[in-house]
Amino acid sequence: MRAVRWIIALAVIAGICWLFPLFHVVPLKAAKAEKAAAEFNAEQFAETFWTNQLLPSLDKTVNADVLLATIQSDPAEAKKKFSRSLGFSSTYFYFVSGTGRVVSISDDEISLAITSGSTNAEVTLLCGLIFGDAVRDGTGLLNASTYPNSQDFNDISAALNHLVETRVLPGLREQAKVGSQISFAGCAEVDDEAMDLKPLKVIPIQTKTP
Amino acid sequence: MKTNWLKLVLAVLAAITTVTFAQTSMAQTGPKEKIAVVISTLNNPWFVVLGDAAKGRAMELGYDATIFDSQNDTAKEAANFENIIASGYKAILFNPTDANGSVANVLKAKAAGIPVFCIDREINSTNAATAQMLSDSYAGCVKLGQYFVKTVGKEGEYAELLGIVGDNNTWNRSKGFHSVVDRYPGLKMVAQQSGEFDRAKGLEVMESILQAHPNIKAVFCGNDAMAMGAYQALVSAGKDKQVQVFGFDGADDVVKMIAEGKIAATGMQFPKTMARKSAEFADEYIKGKRDFPQKVPVAVELVTKENVSKYGDYGKK
Repeated sequence: MRAVRWIIALAVIAGICWLFPLFHVVPLKAAKAEKAAAEFNAEQFAETFWTNQLLPSLDKTVNADVLLATIQSDPAEAKKKFSRSLGFSSTYFYFVSGTGRVVSISDDEISLAITSGSTNAEVTLLCGLIFGDAVRDGTGLLNASTYPNSQDFNDISAALNHLVETRVLPGLREQAKVGSQISFAGCAEVDDEAMDLKPLKVIPIQTKTP
Repeated sequence: MKTNWLKLVLAVLAAITTVTFAQTSMAQTGPKEKIAVVISTLNNPWFVVLGDAAKGRAMELGYDATIFDSQNDTAKEAANFENIIASGYKAILFNPTDANGSVANVLKAKAAGIPVFCIDREINSTNAATAQMLSDSYAGCVKLGQYFVKTVGKEGEYAELLGIVGDNNTWNRSKGFHSVVDRYPGLKMVAQQSGEFDRAKGLEVMESILQAHPNIKAVFCGNDAMAMGAYQALVSAGKDKQVQVFGFDGADDVVKMIAEGKIAATGMQFPKTMARKSAEFADEYIKGKRDFPQKVPVAVELVTKENVSKYGDYGKK
């Protein structure tokens, strides 16, 4: 009789444990895969963003001729009319495109004269190591408020900069010859107006030889 | 006799009028509404400035404001929130202790109908706080990283003192810095340890790093308190001229040390701006506004010996 009671008790305990398991045994590989799937993949995001949002948005750029003329005549008006900035910041961004003639080439910069007849470097296309948030923030397509963890949002910057370095800059370096014409679209970050406006330093997103 | 009676009646009427006026006046103005300022730790002068600025602005706007110190302890922070929720506060200006661990506290306040405005430090949620006013630590440390390469050079050994590992600012700063410095293979990080954003801990960690790696050329610290601790360790070891120190925060003492040539650079975070704007957000909420951006980045500016004269008192002069 006592044995039957023990068997019933064990059966009840086993049933409860089966219905409400105290722990799950998961293969290590599956656990790692599940964790990786839940983590934000900045490289993958940047890849999709580049193709589906960034390149199709290049028609929303301000023309370099117009921007440079406005900066020349009234920098404050140019900032008000064409720039965007995030939160509370004195740094701002231009999303700009244009065509210019190559006037000089160095390891990190390709300088262009934009206005007709000019021989001065008016736009500099950065072609060395790319840092910062200009590509992420310069277009206005991405919003920090939609990312619960700002580390994910910041990882996007690094991933986009990597795409610029690997997809845009090798072709640009090949195309650029002093005297040749180059069309470009990209983002410029203005942190220090004295340093960053003349010439306007642009991180290229797309370049072409017309 | 009649005159005495008349005097008595007039006196009673005057007393009643006085009491009635006093009661009406109390009812009209009422006790002031209360705003709580919850700070991760008051053991660091930078956070004291943050808390005082938030409290000061809330009081300017007509509120009673009280500062609560979480002592870098999520349990203490949870107790502060329980107390605040039970005490009828109208809003919380909040500097969290832990990006994940603090979310539950914010959700509790939200469930009790109290809006929470995060300052400086982030929580990993976009539907708990009403708004989060956050230093753009990543972008600030990209600038610091570029200045680091410019001043230290493209070769040599260096160390890094991390902040609290559970705080997003720790990693945003570290990642921003490394997004630049790691691109130069000649720069070798020989030690990376947490100094927990604390001056004494920064000193202790730096002492042990110096024993193991006596040839480092620079140390990047995730905040100014650790930078001051590291500098102290370097002075004791007689290596303050050999090793360049880089901080982050814009603490007044460090800004002065940059001017004196003792520390190489820091990132100015503008704690007063963040704190005051958060108090203004809370005031707007109490007055009926509801549409706030979830995350408001506040730019960080690079402070070096070249531009240090423009900075002081936890901001731009």
